[in-house]
Amino acid sequence: MIKLTYEARRQLGYRFMMAPALLLMAAFIVFPAFYAFSLSLTDDALLGFAAQESSFVGLRNFSRLFGDPLFWNSLKVTLIFVIGSAVIGQFVLGFLSALALQRPVRYKPIFNAIICLPNAVPEMVVGFLWISMFASGEYGTLNRLVAWFGVDPQQWLYTFPLLSIIIVNTWRGIAFAMILLTSGLAAIPKDIYEAARVDGATDTQVFWRITVPMMMPTIFLYMFISTVTTFAIFGLVYTLSRGGPANSTEILGIYIYNQSFTAFQLGYGAAVAVVSLVVSMILGIIYVRALKVEV
Amino acid sequence: MVAVVRSSFEDVTVTHHASQRRAYLTLVLISLFCMMPFFWVVLAAFDPKASQFLQIPQGVTLDHFKNIFANESGMRWVLNSVVIVGSATILTLIFAGFGGYALSRTQAWWKRPLLYGIILVRIVPPPALIVPVYKVMLFLNDWVNGLINQFTADVEQQQMLSRMFSFIDGYLGLILIHCAMQLPLAIWIMKTFFDAIPKDYEEAAALDGASQWQTVRHVLLPLALPGFAAAGLFAFINAWGDFLMPLMFTSSPELQTLPLGMFRAFLRVDAIDYGFLTALAVIYTLPAVIAFAFARKFLTQTFSGGVKG
Repeated sequence: MIKLTYEARRQLGYRFMMAPALLLMAAFIVFPAFYAFSLSLTDDALLGFAAQESSFVGLRNFSRLFGDPLFWNSLKVTLIFVIGSAVIGQFVLGFLSALALQRPVRYKPIFNAIICLPNAVPEMVVGFLWISMFASGEYGTLNRLVAWFGVDPQQWLYTFPLLSIIIVNTWRGIAFAMILLTSGLAAIPKDIYEAARVDGATDTQVFWRITVPMMMPTIFLYMFISTVTTFAIFGLVYTLSRGGPANSTEILGIYIYNQSFTAFQLGYGAAVAVVSLVVSMILGIIYVRALKVEV
Repeated sequence: MVAVVRSSFEDVTVTHHASQRRAYLTLVLISLFCMMPFFWVVLAAFDPKASQFLQIPQGVTLDHFKNIFANESGMRWVLNSVVIVGSATILTLIFAGFGGYALSRTQAWWKRPLLYGIILVRIVPPPALIVPVYKVMLFLNDWVNGLINQFTADVEQQQMLSRMFSFIDGYLGLILIHCAMQLPLAIWIMKTFFDAIPKDYEEAAALDGASQWQTVRHVLLPLALPGFAAAGLFAFINAWGDFLMPLMFTSSPELQTLPLGMFRAFLRVDAIDYGFLTALAVIYTLPAVIAFAFARKFLTQTFSGGVKG
């Protein structure tokens, strides 16, 4: 029996403690991510001949992918969805609420709670709530609202599908932007503002010359996190529109799902997944390098 | 001279009032936008004549809520969700507790690569994994069911065991996949909390003759409690709200959880019971909202991990 030193025993102990978590993440996230690459080189399918005996087809899935208008459509829809909801919608409304809550307003906790509420709701319920909001006919909630401005009843999810899911995701994510940007605002030293006031700077000048530059690191962090999480959205859009009508809301996640489990083409679905994995890993590596994350 | 000072002072108060009004206007408008969709679900859940449209109820009824508990499927969805998400959260806490502690204390070569690795794992979009994860689950499923068939020849027992331990259409599979998905963030949170507990405390306890277990039980656990609370709340909220995993890995009605059960009930366009579904939506949403209220103060602390909870 070999006697281990105290330190060696401790080091061994750390490895054992790490093991169960590593095993689970390896089996269900890391291995599948690599497995996606090898699956994307096969003609694997859920049904039919290829389901029993899939064979290696090289880069055929990828050459098909790059010639597939539905794939380009999905990439475009994803880009518009991310920019519309995360980069613009949530950010602008979240920043406005964070700035307003900086002021000495009353009922702060109440405003805060109301803005946070949408963020706490499960994806399926979000879809459920907004299907009622967008309901067509003159009794639909949104239709009744726009009727005040003289707008005729619309079939929102059919006429403006992409705009509709952007609005829903904006609604859901204001809270996250607000919380993160509030913590950024709170970190700006107050005496800079006082100095600017003494020098006679206007509100607009203070905002563009002090607040925005001082907030840049927080804004960058926000943009990264919200882009990555919006890129990974599935349930929210699936419950609202399942990618339709006519692929107009088919973001990448839904395109992968539809290709794999509706069209039963697992190999082709995996090829789309590889594109999505590569994009998010590039974003992740840029982030880790740029921010030099403290570990 | 005095007059000049006074007028500029008035200017300041005027702009102060104007920007104050702007702040209130912004907050009220954004709050209205945020609240709007909730009016329907809250009113319809108590409305005897609930419909797809927002309307003032003619009366108030609790029947929809009673229905959930009388109606077999409603109750089953709630219980399945509680069992699956509850077990996944507890499992996540145990594994993340050990993992986070090890990551915080070790100085071994694998510390840094693992921490960066966890950030990257957090960024993997779950929809990109659906095909390969499905294959992995299928493989494990065949293996488990092979074991079960060896273990007993009784068909009824086989079905029962298969329901419990299958990876596809079984409890174990859903619990483990939810746990795996929540682990990266949970480990990160636990590691940050353990980092804040000085190593001296453990060494002092050890010097005082405390056993390993006593040190963990009386020194580490109490100090790490807020970390466990944060990690547990985020794991619960994310797994509770997840739609993709149940969509992929459940098919039989007995295993249906809240999100999928509600979604499928909602797809039967000709026979949607809006009262039942809105009441169920309220019940499904409440635990998430309560958990979020507690988790909110931890939210900014999880940003260092790079990815929101």
